Amino acid sequence: MAGCTIVETAEQQSVGMGQILVARRPGRLTAVLGSCFGVSLFHPRLWLGSLAHVVLPESAGRSSTPGKFADTAIPHMITQLEELGANRSGLVARIAGGACMFGAGGPLQIGDANVEAVGRLLGQSGIRIVSRHVGGTKGRRITLDCATGNVLVQIAGCTSITI
Amino acid sequence: MIEAATAPPDRLDLLHQLFASATHDASVAMCRWTDGLITLSLDEVREIPLEEVSMELNLGDDLLTMVVLSLKGEIGGEMVLTFDEANGRHLAASLLHRAVGTSDEWTELEKSALTETGNILGCAYMNALTRLIQAELVPSPPYFIQDFGASVLQQALMAQALTCDRVLICRTGFHRQGEELNWRVIFVPTDAMRQAMEDAFHCTR
Repeated sequence: MAGCTIVETAEQQSVGMGQILVARRPGRLTAVLGSCFGVSLFHPRLWLGSLAHVVLPESAGRSSTPGKFADTAIPHMITQLEELGANRSGLVARIAGGACMFGAGGPLQIGDANVEAVGRLLGQSGIRIVSRHVGGTKGRRITLDCATGNVLVQIAGCTSITI
Repeated sequence: MIEAATAPPDRLDLLHQLFASATHDASVAMCRWTDGLITLSLDEVREIPLEEVSMELNLGDDLLTMVVLSLKGEIGGEMVLTFDEANGRHLAASLLHRAVGTSDEWTELEKSALTETGNILGCAYMNALTRLIQAELVPSPPYFIQDFGASVLQQALMAQALTCDRVLICRTGFHRQGEELNWRVIFVPTDAMRQAMEDAFHCTR
């Protein structure tokens, strides 16, 4: 696997749709999510984290950037972090997103499918989900802080929470 | 199906011509709805890599007021009308002939003024596209939403994201007596809609 760029400055880096970025303390990674899904993997001893902005649950054989689909993003994240010295058994996951943005009548409601796929794939990979903030009908801005491993979740018009 | 990743510039030019015609119709409707105050112009028709959409459209962190219309069916798409808080309030107030609202919550009347604006714009676009592609288009009722612009656009992009890593976006700007306003219409057609538009254009040449 090609070497990845690691964010190591305190400046916040934005993770676009279908992207995966890796950061080390004091790096911070952020993504704005609607029906998309943010998957954060963090190794507490190495202060090393990865954030994927997953768009769709299944690749179904389609080739694309690995971060676009849950079933390609999660193995890719694990491999990247292992190549940087992180043991899989030490990784913890925090997940957020999967909103149904336009209520029940909106187009291509993929939020629930993303929630299910990400949970299942992390379970199959033996990675513990320590916290989650999923579903609902509002967008989220999430920020993984590699100085703590926490993920800040901001929702329009609501008080921010840390998961 | 158009391969979005390799669509040459002349195809974008063609789509630009087609959307310009629809925008003209929408501008006429908007001008009528606002007593001649507001007009529209087509800013751009672009293909953007999926991961760059929020940054390119400068939507990432902004909390926006939006009206969303969906075109149902394979030949469809999503239309998102966006305002910042101040511009949305100002439009609602001018349509209702009232002072600009100051409470945190939007009143049902203010929401109604904006959704009706979305409806008028949407119908003007849909009528123009229907004439062009000779296919019946069925828009959903307009949906009022206040959220991060990028969160809403994600949902609108889903149909394109299923098949492509680049997305086609048609962006329209608004003007009040020559002054540019911080409103936008973003139209995201499905691949089938793009193909239907191209086919229609070639038939009329």
